[in-house]
Amino acid sequence: MTKTHYHAIGKKTVRKDGLAKVTGQEIYTSDLFLPRMLHGRVLRSPYPHARVKKIDTRSAEALGAVCITFKEVPDITYAERIVTIPQKTFKDRHVLTDHPRHVGEAVAAVAAETAELAEKALGLIRVEYERLPALFDAVEAMKPESIALYETIFFGQEELRVSNNVAATREIIEGDIEKGFLESEIIVEEEFRTGRVYHAQMETKSVVCQPEADGGITVWTTTQTIHNVRQLLGEIFKIPLNKVNVKKISVGGAFGSSIQMNSVVPIGVALALKARRPVKIVLTREEDMVDHCKYPSYIRLKLGAKKDGKLMAGHMRVIVDIGAHNTQAYPLLGCMAGWWVSLYRLPHLKFEGKAVYTNKVPACAMQGFGNPQVTFAVESLMEILAEILGMDSIDLRLKNYVGLGETFWGQGPTVRSIIQSCGVEEMLLKGAELSGWKERKKTLEGTIRRGLGMARGFHTSGAGAPMPGEVIDYSGSIVKINEDGSVDFMTALMDLGGGTLDALAKIVAEELKVPLEKVGISSVDTRTTVYDVCTHATRGIYCGGGALHKVTAQAKSKLLEFASRILQAPPHALKIEIDEEAGQGMIYVEGVPGKRISVGEVAKTAQINNWGTIAAVDSLRQVNCPPTFNAQFIEVEVNTETGVIRPVRAVLCSDAGQVINPDLAEGQLYGGLYRGLGYALLEDTDYDKETGELKNRGLFTDFKMLTAEEIPRLEDIQTYFTHTREPTGPFGAKGIGEAALNPTAAAVVNAIYDAIGIRFTKIPVTPEMVLKALNEKRNQG
Amino acid sequence: MSKTKLYPLKININGVWKKAKVAPEESLLKVLREKLGHTEVKEGCGKGDCGACAVLLNGKPVNACLTLALQADQQKVVTVKGIGTPDRPHPLQESFVKRGAIQCGFCTAGMLVSAKNLLDENPNPSRDEIKKAISGNLCRCTGYKKIIEAIEEAAQKIRQTIYDKR
Repeated sequence: MTKTHYHAIGKKTVRKDGLAKVTGQEIYTSDLFLPRMLHGRVLRSPYPHARVKKIDTRSAEALGAVCITFKEVPDITYAERIVTIPQKTFKDRHVLTDHPRHVGEAVAAVAAETAELAEKALGLIRVEYERLPALFDAVEAMKPESIALYETIFFGQEELRVSNNVAATREIIEGDIEKGFLESEIIVEEEFRTGRVYHAQMETKSVVCQPEADGGITVWTTTQTIHNVRQLLGEIFKIPLNKVNVKKISVGGAFGSSIQMNSVVPIGVALALKARRPVKIVLTREEDMVDHCKYPSYIRLKLGAKKDGKLMAGHMRVIVDIGAHNTQAYPLLGCMAGWWVSLYRLPHLKFEGKAVYTNKVPACAMQGFGNPQVTFAVESLMEILAEILGMDSIDLRLKNYVGLGETFWGQGPTVRSIIQSCGVEEMLLKGAELSGWKERKKTLEGTIRRGLGMARGFHTSGAGAPMPGEVIDYSGSIVKINEDGSVDFMTALMDLGGGTLDALAKIVAEELKVPLEKVGISSVDTRTTVYDVCTHATRGIYCGGGALHKVTAQAKSKLLEFASRILQAPPHALKIEIDEEAGQGMIYVEGVPGKRISVGEVAKTAQINNWGTIAAVDSLRQVNCPPTFNAQFIEVEVNTETGVIRPVRAVLCSDAGQVINPDLAEGQLYGGLYRGLGYALLEDTDYDKETGELKNRGLFTDFKMLTAEEIPRLEDIQTYFTHTREPTGPFGAKGIGEAALNPTAAAVVNAIYDAIGIRFTKIPVTPEMVLKALNEKRNQG
Repeated sequence: MSKTKLYPLKININGVWKKAKVAPEESLLKVLREKLGHTEVKEGCGKGDCGACAVLLNGKPVNACLTLALQADQQKVVTVKGIGTPDRPHPLQESFVKRGAIQCGFCTAGMLVSAKNLLDENPNPSRDEIKKAISGNLCRCTGYKKIIEAIEEAAQKIRQTIYDKR
């Protein structure tokens, strides 16, 4: 490997939006106040399943409020998430509905001069509901005698009948599992369950919509994809896309919660179009908590192996309770299969997945898109298998992992490519060393018991592949070199907090050899950017950055062409380097003194001579989605009297390829650990089966998350980045974000097993569960 | 229209006296954001659970969502903008940027208010004291580690400045 000399890539720098964020200058959707703006509120179903028989808004309107019901919004069935190609997209949503299928589903909305007046108007809308039986269990919902939550939905343009409330099914077979299990000498099987976690992003979902004089609209909203919001709004409201402008604005956290166009967006637009005035809706926390949650899972996993540990066959059966809407269940099931088979080589495999409608909050992507669920099952069962085999579980993993040169299909069966960089072995060995894995001792006595557990995982960097597949995945950018040598880049890619756009600025700075301070992150909207699918799937740096790298190289060619006219040497004889002192990129002819000019001077000369602006625009679809691997070693303390589990130490290993922002990459690992610990130990949403409401009533008080006081001691959280480079990534980089959480729950549960000898297969593992299990164990003798 | 009687409010925000007409039930958060233009104070839950709206009221941290605006009549309020500005950032703000203690930034304003109060009262806090001081501020992004480190660094810097002045 050649030694690289970067001035921006891999260097510790402060994030460009840092000062604005710490001094209260950064603006979020909820901070916008437009002249003549009305405040909107949404009327939500108090029942988990009902029909609206009558709705009367006259009293609300008499108060001066603008009201809309399902009768006054476009009668269009849509999917709020449109990254799958249109003919493979399941659609079952309406802007407002007369058939709410979960508590909190929107049936009407109002807009008024003040929030108080809107609230008052909301209370004056009279709705007569017919309550219908509701379903809260996926297995129950699939029984033929259960009520049908949908008669039909749309699959592309086609009307599709829904049977037994099954929203999507997927069966994938490779090889012959019967043969595989027959050839196996040891077979292990277990059932796993994971919870319906709430995203709990700090900013609740919000929208501001301004109707324009030309019949168009301008929209600011909490989203991970301004272009998909634009396209959906154009489709629903029949507005030409050039008149729908979605502005990029800072988002107060996402974690998947705004991966789709959120339900509040078209409601805000419908109100604004009717009122002919700007309308703002900011969800309350209680409303936000009934908008979306993480996909829960039931997974039954069976693995067969030879006595030497070689895996022979696997069978995974999955049931996902998706709640009231199909946000993207078909791709989810494909991805769950992909996460599984891309972890370990399975010569014979079968995956059977079902996504089932119930009357709960609609589930959607949340950090990992099915991956934390699958990895929890796989990495727990690998530990069980290792114990039966009498093998160190790290050796078992090393023997079977899918690595360099092998095919993987993390994003599902239609997204296959070859692994070209892999730090799995380095991480497993280094992590074992740093965590004291080999030296760990079992102490199965005393009140406080310690245990060390590990798990590995990965996430793809985007969803690119050589073949187009069913998922849209490409990005685009505009790069423009200004007349003083500074550079603007315009991308629809979002920074959801991780610092993705800082990484992108470094890619520009590195390619053009200009100082990082000279690269600006432009404020943009859907009019001034080319399409970018979505900031999701850990694709920001690899896909968005990859596209930007390509466009920057095009701008650079133009720069060198202009420079060659000035320096009178052919473009390919020119070199470019950074001059830190001058604060400029310098172009020169190697070995010829005096033939030297700054990037800024070239751009200025081009302007004066009327040669034109140095700029480029293009798109790129990556033909890979390289796995960003990781491994986590986590130590916990279990209090056998209270059942409380405290995470006390963590070694977080990551193979993100070339790290672009070291500080921010570490931040991704810490954040992933934090949310992963919550996933394993605390976070879930439970329902009151009588009322269909969330038991926590939408309050943070009863949706517990870890606080600063409950994380491990700072010096006991270590990070390790592998020495890998991804040949297909911008400057060798891969993604990082979602991977950081995928193995955490399994590592925690493995650590609990190490501490008290009890294997939990359901998360979160609460103190009540621990005490109950300890009692059962004692009673068994 | 609404018949609620409005009362005059006079309040000192970040050193500047401001006036507004407010209803008795209006929260300080609502008045700061909607009537006085201080949108740097964020609403995360409106129930006192998350700390995003923390401000200093006469030097003490309060959740603005749980404080009635009229309770702050004739009093001094400091928001994150009063802690420091882009031209003259407070050491806490500098270290938050330098240590990567911010991601989405939505909890940052409240977090800095709690941290400022801690360092005003205790210039040499232990890690446990820092954790306790910000335990009422939820952050979903960072996992808190870099925030705690940033507060520690700022504390050290402030102590050094005081020492240098002596």
